Amino acid sequence: MSLTPLALRNVLRTPASLRPLLLQSPRACYHSYEHTQPPPYRDADAAILSSALTYVPAQGFTQEALTLGAKDAGYLDISTNLFPKGAFELVKYHLVTQRLGLKDRIQFPDEKMGVGRKVRSLVLERLRANADTGVVNRWQEALALMSLAENIPTSLRELSALSDEIWFLAGDVSVDTSWYTKRASLSGIYAATEIYQTTDQSTDFKDTEQFLDRRLEELRVMGGAVGNTLEWVGFQGGALVNLMRSKGVRI
Amino acid sequence: MAFVLPRAAVVPSLPLKARLTPLAFQLQARSRNVSARRTIISSAASPATEPEPERLHKPQPSRRKPLSAEQKKYLDKALRVNQAGELAATLIYTAQMPPINKAYPHLRPLMKHMYDQEAGHFKKFNELLAKHRIRPTAMYPLWQAAATFLGWSTAAMGREAAMACTEAVETEIGEHYNGQVRELLTWMTDMENRGEEVGEELRLLIEDIRRIRDEELEHLDHAVQNDAKEANPYELLTGVIRTGCRGAIWVSEKV
Repeated sequence: MSLTPLALRNVLRTPASLRPLLLQSPRACYHSYEHTQPPPYRDADAAILSSALTYVPAQGFTQEALTLGAKDAGYLDISTNLFPKGAFELVKYHLVTQRLGLKDRIQFPDEKMGVGRKVRSLVLERLRANADTGVVNRWQEALALMSLAENIPTSLRELSALSDEIWFLAGDVSVDTSWYTKRASLSGIYAATEIYQTTDQSTDFKDTEQFLDRRLEELRVMGGAVGNTLEWVGFQGGALVNLMRSKGVRI
Repeated sequence: MAFVLPRAAVVPSLPLKARLTPLAFQLQARSRNVSARRTIISSAASPATEPEPERLHKPQPSRRKPLSAEQKKYLDKALRVNQAGELAATLIYTAQMPPINKAYPHLRPLMKHMYDQEAGHFKKFNELLAKHRIRPTAMYPLWQAAATFLGWSTAAMGREAAMACTEAVETEIGEHYNGQVRELLTWMTDMENRGEEVGEELRLLIEDIRRIRDEELEHLDHAVQNDAKEANPYELLTGVIRTGCRGAIWVSEKV
């Protein structure tokens, strides 16, 4: 990792024993079912951030919410120095906890549901979580924070992690090139739908659901067209080779 | 012998008449010791009096630590490369089979057997990647094209060249799997030495990779038996293919 002055400052601020934690790549790797990972946040951090989230509807994603949360959790005001990125850490905590909590919020007992319908349900459930935690009215502030240059890498990583999580929970088992195209397209659709949700005033977010349905329909049509074209090209190539072989060309 | 006079009204710190003469105190202490010693079991006592704790027979619950970041990265890379390798193997056989089977019908069962085994390996690694949420290599379409071209071109060069291609690829893959099995076995012995539980997941993974390595080496033997070494530009062909394999492995680990 290249050491910009800001990154160097953050490294030097971290206690020496915790510096190896900074080097860990948060990108998803081999997922073990038996050797489970420890939780992503330490107890103190999680306590402060979770109580700070309860102040977000009133205060927004700001340093004030963090301070009030720290006091509420029984820590000193100065404890917010644990979070060098300030309000963005609150946004990130919300993103991480909602992503990891998605599998507990929704289960699919009915095995007949197709992968596409499951993806739709998961996206809607994740968006509903924004509303349930009372964060959706302040989410435009969060989007603004996420779009700051220093926060963009983390935001994109969280978005791709969420997309991966949704496809995994929907039961997708493809591991060829479509792995990349599916996740990229779902990331785009989710981001667009989330932005739309921040302006949605309808009851129960019906307009957001219809927006999502339109985007998923577009994806289905586009993906189908591209897939069919590639298949046709493949068939033409194979047919040409077989034709030449039948004419005696030694290939 | 001391006796205590009851004094209900006053609560003294020591009972009255508790003060013993030194001799009386010593005699009292000795008698107390003898009665205590009666419950101590000496080593010469019979086995029937042995204490029998439950803990002795039940195996202790072993610790299970999370995998370290390096271990997860290693498994991530290893399984990604393995899947890419099996993809290439299946496509090489798919491309080789039509011309070879047409020219040498007696090789049909052998080619089918090898193809079926490779398809089984590919399916296994696809399942592992999906289960453990490992991303496949981004060079997937490139490897598809390269493997098809390799299979088709070596088959066009003849039976010996096709077998030499198989020999070269299987040699590289066999070495690669050997390294992985050795690394995972080292992990297993380290975990056992530290008293940590290895777990079914890791154990089954090692067994699977071992079995697949054995089958790949069996393909290598078949290829050599079928005159792989008779191929005309033998050194050049196997050199190029082995270098290409090593490069592909290196790239698939990163990308």
